[in-house]
Amino acid sequence: MYRRLLASLLRWTLRLDVGINRVYPADFNPLYYTGGLSNLFLTILILSGLFLFFYYVPSYNEAYTTVQYISERVPYGQIIRGIHRYSADGFMIVILLHFFRNWFTERFRFSRDEPWISGMMLLVFAGFIGVTGYVLVWDQRAELLVVMTGNALAAIPAVGGWLRNLLFGGPGLTNLLLPRMLFLHVGPAVLLYVLLWWHYVRLRHPKVWPPAVWTLFSLGVVLLLSGLIPAASQPQASPTTPPRQLAVDWLFLLPYVSLKYLTPLWLIVLATVIIVYGLYIPYQLPETRAEMGLRESGIAQVIDANCTGCELSYYDCPYNAIVMAPSPHPGVTKAAQARKLLAIVLESRCVECGICIGACPFEALELPHFLEQDVQAKVLTACRS
Amino acid sequence: MPELGPPPKSQSQSAPAPGNPARAAGPGAAARRPKIVGFLCDWAVSAEGIVREDGTMRDLPNVTLIKVPCSGFIRPSWLEFALKNGADGTFVCGCPLGDCFNRLGNNLIQDRVAQMRRRLERQKIQPDRVGTIYYGLREQEQFVAAVREFSDRVAQLPAPPPPPPARRPAGVSPATPADGSPSGPTPAPEEP
Ligand code: HEM
Ligand code: SF4
Repeated sequence: MYRRLLASLLRWTLRLDVGINRVYPADFNPLYYTGGLSNLFLTILILSGLFLFFYYVPSYNEAYTTVQYISERVPYGQIIRGIHRYSADGFMIVILLHFFRNWFTERFRFSRDEPWISGMMLLVFAGFIGVTGYVLVWDQRAELLVVMTGNALAAIPAVGGWLRNLLFGGPGLTNLLLPRMLFLHVGPAVLLYVLLWWHYVRLRHPKVWPPAVWTLFSLGVVLLLSGLIPAASQPQASPTTPPRQLAVDWLFLLPYVSLKYLTPLWLIVLATVIIVYGLYIPYQLPETRAEMGLRESGIAQVIDANCTGCELSYYDCPYNAIVMAPSPHPGVTKAAQARKLLAIVLESRCVECGICIGACPFEALELPHFLEQDVQAKVLTACRS
Repeated sequence: MPELGPPPKSQSQSAPAPGNPARAAGPGAAARRPKIVGFLCDWAVSAEGIVREDGTMRDLPNVTLIKVPCSGFIRPSWLEFALKNGADGTFVCGCPLGDCFNRLGNNLIQDRVAQMRRRLERQKIQPDRVGTIYYGLREQEQFVAAVREFSDRVAQLPAPPPPPPARRPAGVSPATPADGSPSGPTPAPEEP
């Protein structure tokens, strides 16, 4: 059932692509650039966030007023605040698209687990940063978030209360709360870049930016939204008028909405299960569908005798799986005798795609289950038939 | 451009009519059935239902498909190998550009085929005998239409000149004298 669901999700993903490709040339299909779009929104967030950071004071009494000050007094403050909020929403939307797309098209297969695992962490931290961001405003919504998070954490047996104190700096609303939240907003934002290094380290030429049209389009939408719907605070948080209703940003605060229907403990269990399952996805046994006959072609092997050290495969391997090492001995063929370098395949990075075979004009690489002579034999039978 | 032109757009939903008008052009073109070898990326168009047991296409028996793990896996020398061994045309089908499962494979094969076409030109083989097309898993109809178009175009090319002496497959190595060290099996004689 679940497999069938995934198969039909793949089908719909591809169908959507086909639809979009009808409208745009395929090189501009935004769904092919969800990673680049995430990076774009993250950059907008960092820049606008820096601006807000100059004005923000993380203290119980002043936080709300400084945010209001940014909105009302600082030139273009309202706009920048809007940009920060709406690009956060945009960020969440595109990383969810990126996540689902990579999931449904199985781009976690073979040794692609590293971008997947780092991606899951990016997703979790992005959500977390969003919530701490809403607390920083310190309006009634923020207060409600703190109360709800506190209750949810306290519901964890044994360590719950301790965790809550760790997060908020003590029971109840303390003076430490907002500095901590500020740290937990900015700190993980920096951490995202560490995770992104991990995300990219095995990708050659990651498409870090979308095509210029989509950069401009995204910027335009964010600007337009921040002009049309100013990002506003709710009334100030105060202990005397406890907040009632949660004004929801569906992208970040969905878990809090679900608290209406779930007990806090169940929510935490559910979240843990989802995250753990997400981390497990790339290790599920691959399933060979009927129409996808050729998988497992085997890790690429260098044929030492033929390698000339030309580096062509090193430049073309999309997963940085080929390194050039100083050659310990000359090769056998004429072209390989004067070589200085020898290609080496890092097995843990190889996704068995065979792109290096296509890159190599010296027949110095092969996929063990898909040899050149087999291909040539197939060509010959095809030509002779 | 090395491609076969853009995929058939608006009319693509309806199955292409068997009597394609392109077929009528050129005297005697329809009579000859070019032999075509196609390399098909395993993640691109699903071969299910369009291929017979022996690898030939159901609608186009003159076309044989060979499945490969990724379009980037193909060595251009294999395309040349096919041409020299009696195929009238060869093409590569990968996923839509930008959507390669292995990120860069189809972009790379596009560049490699483009280079190869220039090489073929120098060898006096019509570069139109090789092509690249890009279709996703479920775009079978469009794929078949594009292959038919390719086949028709190859059919209209004038008969190839006698096969040139074999060379090393890739242009990277300095061109060896023709009678130096021919690589691979000697080319079979062209069919009439
Ligand atoms: C801050 C958020 C993220 C950014 C900026 C980001 C960016 C990118 C970029 C630029 C690429 C390279 C795409 C290409 O060149 O084809 C990529 C690949 C990838 N991302 Fe992300 N990503 C983010 C979050 C995630 C998440 C949440 C997941 C899923 C759990 C994920 C999973 C992957 C995977 C599996 C790949 C490899 C795709 C392939 O090998 O074809 N990423 N990411
Ligand atoms: S098959 Fe070759 S190109 Fe593909 S990941 Fe492995 S080493 Fe890199």
